[in-house]
Amino acid sequence: MQIYLPIAELPLSLFLLLGMGAAVGFIAGLFGVGGGFLLTPFLIFIGVPAPVAVATSSVHIAASSVTGALTYWRRQALDSRLGAVLIVGGVLGTALGVLFFNQMRRLGYLDVIITLSYVTLLMSIGCLMFVESIGAMLESRKQQRAGVAPLKAAPEKAWHQRLPFHMHFARSKLTTSVIPVVGLGTIIGFIGTVLGIGGGFLVVPALIYLFRIPTNVVVGTSLLQIVVTMLVAIFLHATISQAVDVILGLVLVVGGVIGAQFGVRTGQTLKGEQFRLLLAMLILAVGVRFAFEIVGKPPDPFVISTVEVER
Amino acid sequence: MKRLSALLLMLAGLAAQPTRAQELVLTLSTREVAITSTYTGADVTAFGFIERDVRSVPRTEPFEVIATVQGPVGDIVVHRKGQLGPIWLTAARERFARIPTYFAVLSARPVSEIVSHENAQRLKLSLTDYLPPIDTLPPDEITAQSEFRQALLRLRAEEGALHIDPKAVTMVRPNLFTVKVNVPGKAPVGLYVINISVVAEGIVLRTAQAGFVVRKVGFDAAVADAAKNRAPLYALITALIAVLLGWFANFAFRRD
Repeated sequence: MQIYLPIAELPLSLFLLLGMGAAVGFIAGLFGVGGGFLLTPFLIFIGVPAPVAVATSSVHIAASSVTGALTYWRRQALDSRLGAVLIVGGVLGTALGVLFFNQMRRLGYLDVIITLSYVTLLMSIGCLMFVESIGAMLESRKQQRAGVAPLKAAPEKAWHQRLPFHMHFARSKLTTSVIPVVGLGTIIGFIGTVLGIGGGFLVVPALIYLFRIPTNVVVGTSLLQIVVTMLVAIFLHATISQAVDVILGLVLVVGGVIGAQFGVRTGQTLKGEQFRLLLAMLILAVGVRFAFEIVGKPPDPFVISTVEVER
Repeated sequence: MKRLSALLLMLAGLAAQPTRAQELVLTLSTREVAITSTYTGADVTAFGFIERDVRSVPRTEPFEVIATVQGPVGDIVVHRKGQLGPIWLTAARERFARIPTYFAVLSARPVSEIVSHENAQRLKLSLTDYLPPIDTLPPDEITAQSEFRQALLRLRAEEGALHIDPKAVTMVRPNLFTVKVNVPGKAPVGLYVINISVVAEGIVLRTAQAGFVVRKVGFDAAVADAAKNRAPLYALITALIAVLLGWFANFAFRRD
């Protein structure tokens, strides 16, 4: 059954879209990520124009992160104070991202930028996570043999604590300058808006490795930040880029919601390092898929990219 | 829309103009293709009648019909990838401004067998006839340009936006014919112009025009209109839908 998408301006199979939403939702629920880094490429692959794919993914990410954030909220597993500071940066980054997005779209560089950014971002994050999770697996095996868990000596004062404007985040057990937190929010907001991803797979490692925030509050806090930045992204993409397809968004969300429930259930049976290794492999796979598009001689050196119809 | 209606009236007028020897009368199966939620493309049939009178020159060969369909004009950019270290990126690009974003050439047998190259150019039977001529350019630029133009034709044909069908015209009687126009689901909304020429013995006897509009109607039109003209409201509703669905999912599937 085909359904006509009024903003993307093409008919697509309803079941294909529902299935895609469900598949991405399953992965999202399994790993606690938004899944935007899978959804946007999928949509572009089946023929949705890149601007519409990026802008509409934010609808899917917003909905799935609302679901996730509410769960963590009830378990008190999120730091709303830290989330608020991240959001300040996130909104700024989102606004900059939408402006950049439209500038590049006007110049006709958007497709190239999306592809290149996906390759670099996914490959580097994927490699980092891959190495880290392998390391963690070896580490835990060594510990089992030694029988004693070594204490990690925390540095007296981390680099981010030497900057001015300190704030205390009780739930994250952290007192630090707001500058790096706002900065992190800005970068994530910017990247997220331009690439149509939530950025959870960037925020979570950053909070864990840079700020040493307890893992149990990190995912909830990151989801809270994603909800707000994606809502701002929807608003700005819909008003400035006019590329948000509400029908496409709705179908994807319905599929995603169902898929996510199965994902969450499967995810509870996975161990921490296994979980990170699987996610790393998934991210790497998407990165490699994008890399193939630009590495090596293309079978056809010519491509048609933009079709701007005069109305 | 007003401009479109005016254009349509003008086109209808053109088709009905009194003529010299042969008269070509055209009518379309529909003047409007409505896009609804289940739209996947549409067929529009043009019916034509070639009227002869006493002044008509007697021809030994039968009439033949060539039709072109032009969709709304737009800008199309063709990129040529080049090597930059290990990766391949756009090295050169060519913008083809204001050319039909949908173009079809319809006939009963290949057009090259019906008319000469000069006549084909005069009738604008190729998408490249809508582009500025390149013969005045320096020789090396001509090579580059013609490569881009060939790529344009090839890629647009692959996308279904350029359709050459030598089986779309049916001569029902020697002077009565139908032209089947297929509008693909991906074709843009706007005004579509059909140019129909009657040819005999390689001579173009008569050309007439007719047009139809592809437009969104009902719910899809309302959504597209809201997205364009009431963007803040559309944005808020979309954001609200996302939040409500997310909240509902959390509520419906909660286990704690």
